[in-house]
Amino acid sequence: MCVGLAAKVLSIKDGEAVIYAGGAKRTISAELIEDLAPGDYVMVHAGVAISKITDTDEDQAGKIMRII
Amino acid sequence: MNNTVTLAMGSGGVQTSELIDNIFKKNFSNPLLTSDDAAVIDFEGGRIAMTTDGFIVSPYEFAGGNIGKLSICGAVNDLACMGAEPLYLTCSFVIEEGFPLEKLEIIAGSMAETAKKAGVVIVAGDTKVAGKGQVDGVFITTTGVGRIADGISTSGAFARPGDKIIVTGDIGRHGCTILLSRESFGIDADVTSDCAPLWKNVKACLDAAKDIHVIRDATRGGVGTVLYEIASQSNVGIMLDSSKIPVADGVKGTCSLLGLEPLYLACEGRLVISAPADEADKIVEVLRAMPDSENAAVIGEVTDSDPGKVIMLTAIGAKTLLARPGGELLPRIC
Amino acid sequence: MNEVIEQAREIITGYKGREIRIMEVCGTHTHEIFRLGIRQLLPESIKLISGPGCPVCVTPVGYIDEAVMLSLERGCTICTFGDLIRVPGSEKSLAQARSEGADINMIYSPDDAVEMAKNFPDKQVVFLAVGFETTTPSACLAVKKAKKLGLENFSILTANKTMPNAYERLKHSADAFLYPGHVNAITGNAVCRKLCDEGVSGVVSGFTAAELMSALAVTIRMLEKGEPFFVNCYPRVVTEEGNIAAQKLMKEVMEECDTEWRGLGLIERSGQRLRKEYSDFDARIKYSLPEIKGHSNAACRCGEVLQGKCRPDECKLFGKVCTPLHPVGACMVSDEGACSAYYQYDR
Repeated sequence: MCVGLAAKVLSIKDGEAVIYAGGAKRTISAELIEDLAPGDYVMVHAGVAISKITDTDEDQAGKIMRII
Repeated sequence: MNNTVTLAMGSGGVQTSELIDNIFKKNFSNPLLTSDDAAVIDFEGGRIAMTTDGFIVSPYEFAGGNIGKLSICGAVNDLACMGAEPLYLTCSFVIEEGFPLEKLEIIAGSMAETAKKAGVVIVAGDTKVAGKGQVDGVFITTTGVGRIADGISTSGAFARPGDKIIVTGDIGRHGCTILLSRESFGIDADVTSDCAPLWKNVKACLDAAKDIHVIRDATRGGVGTVLYEIASQSNVGIMLDSSKIPVADGVKGTCSLLGLEPLYLACEGRLVISAPADEADKIVEVLRAMPDSENAAVIGEVTDSDPGKVIMLTAIGAKTLLARPGGELLPRIC
Repeated sequence: MNEVIEQAREIITGYKGREIRIMEVCGTHTHEIFRLGIRQLLPESIKLISGPGCPVCVTPVGYIDEAVMLSLERGCTICTFGDLIRVPGSEKSLAQARSEGADINMIYSPDDAVEMAKNFPDKQVVFLAVGFETTTPSACLAVKKAKKLGLENFSILTANKTMPNAYERLKHSADAFLYPGHVNAITGNAVCRKLCDEGVSGVVSGFTAAELMSALAVTIRMLEKGEPFFVNCYPRVVTEEGNIAAQKLMKEVMEECDTEWRGLGLIERSGQRLRKEYSDFDARIKYSLPEIKGHSNAACRCGEVLQGKCRPDECKLFGKVCTPLHPVGACMVSDEGACSAYYQYDR
């Protein structure tokens, strides 16, 4: 369920963003995220940015592991 | 089982083998007809290899080539896989009524150019025109004959434990290019087809290392399907190191967007080679120095454990079976 | 190998406690867990159960029949995620319908279907709206866009589902849930926290090697402590409140309904359908579809597999009648399905 792709926002216009991930570009909807700016990283699912990404997976895992 | 032909039967996976086994092999069976890329025939004064291949790619023009270039590369590479120097080709066209002559000229032009590059001569041809809607644009079938030098013998059945597995470049570009131009995914990726004639590259490998066991053309079904075929034909296991498999950025990005596995995307200019460990580095070095194989790499090795299986060494240091080749390539999104 | 992964790996492989059962709810988790070979690392006493979170797997037979009818009998152009193409219906899949001439298109985003409707006014475009909370907003955006553009040739066939009542149904099937990261990105963590208050443990996880390994390590350590817990192990994407704009959008366009889950049966208020205001875009109404009750193979044990009550290979259809190429049951149809993954990786 829900294959997501971490992608970089290249540009934004009229509620749409052009994102870049590993050599592939695509226009997606940016309507569901407030204050999105070029350079931000977003999680993309089925052509919609569903969330801003605030950390790398490995740094996050490092912090999580410290809980235990 | 279906009682009509489905798209999946043409995708290169298990259903394709079922179709071939159940209909064609059953009817055509003879000692020269094998599962390799071309047939090897003893002839007065030596051995020849012979192959035939049909091309129905849609769209017929794509980034990095067109159906004409593809049809020459297909035949040349099939011969090269048997270690055969491609000599002569025939080509047969089925053209749809209304097809623009200008496009046909472009296609024929790339065929001539590719044939020249590969050092092969087109010696006969056939042209049929079919009514509107009976074919999609143009279909081409090429048949090739090549000569095998003494002492060279390759086959999908010759892989031995201890061999290294080499790919001659980054994988999946042709399949990715076609997928992006055919479906309405709206993805803009900097990917061009890997379509290229590879006899010169094979020749250089054969000159550098006499003892090459397997050379296979990773076309439809991709490198993953070819590896499963080698594992099964040679009754060996194959262990891949996932971190060593060369994949271009655009292919990687497209695959992560669509949930696809690059190992199952078609290539049209990539070979899989199985050769003894002490020859592998030399082969990779020779390949890297040549056009169309600059990204050649050792991606794994042949094992005596797990016969018939392809195992992946993953990013967390675990071993897992590479998912078996399926039917039609379907993006996984929701 | 990365240090954090190494550390998590030690915790996972070194586990020596009582038998624990962890249900990965999300099909993409199942897929990545197999792809990374995580199951190969687990000691005997840790069981991973593949849950119901693959929309393709839980989409009922009747839904495919509806889509086939729309394409073959109503002449509609179908736009779908690739996942659904080979899911068997009562008589045929969309792949088979296509070989009989149906116009079936694979797309990446529902927006692509709207664009197709806009560019080809003669086509009656129907988007097959499956998926959970993560995917539903994209379908809602598509419907709103079509309405704004005044498109009369676009509609959707809804089979959207929501997770909370499925968790209720499954909460006794495992010691902890591995919650689906991208669902929580939309919904936030309230439902998981509420379950935790009721004694149902779980962590929400991302999808990379580092994320899955750390989430599993946390789950194991927390289970050892014995208290009910909820930990957000995917904070770089999942916030406490989720995506509020997406939640509002779903409420505006869709409403709750009871829905059937292939393998699990009817679950109350676990479905989503278009509100009255958007009924012009409801393919069922637009093309007056009759109520279709699909029929599936009675010997299939997918329902039990989805609840972790039986292993895929304990079903007598598994690997014989039912294979990824000729799937019978829900869990074999998608690469994410528990049976399919088991067949492809474990055999």
